[in-house]
Amino acid sequence: MSSATVASEEARKPAAERNAAPPARRPAWRDVVTFRGPPQPGLELWLSIAAFLAVLGAWALVAETGLVQPQILPSPFAVVAAWGRLFADGYIGDIGISVGRVWAAFLASALIAIPLGILMSGYRAITALLEPIIDFVRYLPVPALVPLTLIWLGIGEGSKITLLWIGTFFQLILLVADDARRVPKEFIETGRTLGASDSSLMKDVLLRAMLPNMVDSLRITLGWCWTYLIVAEIVASSSGIGYELWTARRYGKSPEVFAGILTIGIIGLVSDQAIRYLHRRWFRYLQ
Amino acid sequence: MSFIRISDVAKQFTTPDGGTIPVVRPLSLDIEEGEFVVFVGPSGCGKTTVMRMVGGLETPTSGEIYLKDKLVEGPSRDKGMVFQSYSSFPWLTVLGNIRFGLKYRSDISAAEKEKIARHYLDLVGLTPFADYTINRISGGMRQRVAIARTLAANPLVLLMDEPFGALDALSRERLQLQLMDLRRAERKTVIFVTHDVDEAVLLADRIVVFSKRPARILADIPVSATLPEKRGLDILDHSDFRKIRRDVLALIRNEERSMEAAE
Repeated sequence: MSSATVASEEARKPAAERNAAPPARRPAWRDVVTFRGPPQPGLELWLSIAAFLAVLGAWALVAETGLVQPQILPSPFAVVAAWGRLFADGYIGDIGISVGRVWAAFLASALIAIPLGILMSGYRAITALLEPIIDFVRYLPVPALVPLTLIWLGIGEGSKITLLWIGTFFQLILLVADDARRVPKEFIETGRTLGASDSSLMKDVLLRAMLPNMVDSLRITLGWCWTYLIVAEIVASSSGIGYELWTARRYGKSPEVFAGILTIGIIGLVSDQAIRYLHRRWFRYLQ
Repeated sequence: MSFIRISDVAKQFTTPDGGTIPVVRPLSLDIEEGEFVVFVGPSGCGKTTVMRMVGGLETPTSGEIYLKDKLVEGPSRDKGMVFQSYSSFPWLTVLGNIRFGLKYRSDISAAEKEKIARHYLDLVGLTPFADYTINRISGGMRQRVAIARTLAANPLVLLMDEPFGALDALSRERLQLQLMDLRRAERKTVIFVTHDVDEAVLLADRIVVFSKRPARILADIPVSATLPEKRGLDILDHSDFRKIRRDVLALIRNEERSMEAAE
């Protein structure tokens, strides 16, 4: 094409369009304040970081200016110092013990709840047998069971793990059964008409189809484990994050109390994000 | 005895409060081996229920169904099913899904299974998409995966429940033509449920028209007696095609009118 034709084509366009600059890109900040606007991952991350830093800043400001007594609200720097003291005094061992207790109870819950939940979703007899009992136990307040576990199992690891197990197992089994029930009927019927037996149907179709939702259920249950762990460690323990937290309170060491609470929060956040990451990797086919 | 014998089969559903809703009135139907039978009727009339009873996915309240002289007592590999909703497994690839159709066959070796899976993958034209995950392919492709998977299991009868109902017009047309090719190559006995009368006349050797619920058979129209077996889209203009289409539509319209009158 010669430059002459280009020029003439340019001339034929309406004046407004001629040599018009490319339309200005909508600034990212407009997208994030638009109702159901398009995603802006970069800006969203910065917003999250900014909010986090703002809370931290406000906390430091209030504490450092003496607006609130340090006994009530220690400054972030005091908390960091407390962390230093705690870790120098073997805090990592306490963390290890707490994490160990949580995972022991969590795995024991999951290993029993997953098969039972799947069976419950599939066989009405099993639902009829188990559901009333599960619903009853589910509404028992877990802290109220602490004296019982102490009477039965003493103050060893057994009583704490049992307490966490009771707190999570009866919830998890119902979550798993629900995940299994949500698998489309067509998947099950497809399996059947391709010749799958009941056991292959549960293993090859049901379990695979429900897996992404089940991993989410497990992630949520793991969070509950931490709640009950602290209850157990405060009431009856001589080690663990909860025990250290309670001991610090007894001696009025607010920074250590804060450090303990934040430690649990960080562990929870990290494990939650780790499972979310694995979820994205394992179930890439969902995207 | 004919290949599929539906003998005085009736079905009632039980409501949660203990009442019963008759869905299928006692009806009988014989289907020969290799026949392509299409069930049509007003929506919600019970035609799908009849097909699901043949597949063993529903139990008749009374009467019996025989497939090749054997009483149908539940789902099995003999009765392959293709559903309207996408039933391909998202955790498997296209080829993985087709392989799944062979998973529970103990009559053939692993090498043989792989050969058969690839054969059907090719037959439905998905070889270039073998390693795609299900969520990355179109609805039409997903139904082709489901058909290939079902054929790979080598059922005696292929049961199709409005398999193209969720597709756009062009994909539907393409799949209808492909299904006719597949069927000529495979000589399968097919029961196909649809509410699309054009689709019914295009595909069928025989159209069975059902009444409104509770279903009974209104008409049993031998399409292959008047239309050629090998049909293309040009058949849509064929005068016999239009006549059959008109007759079937008239029957269904009449039923739907009496349904509205009853309400």
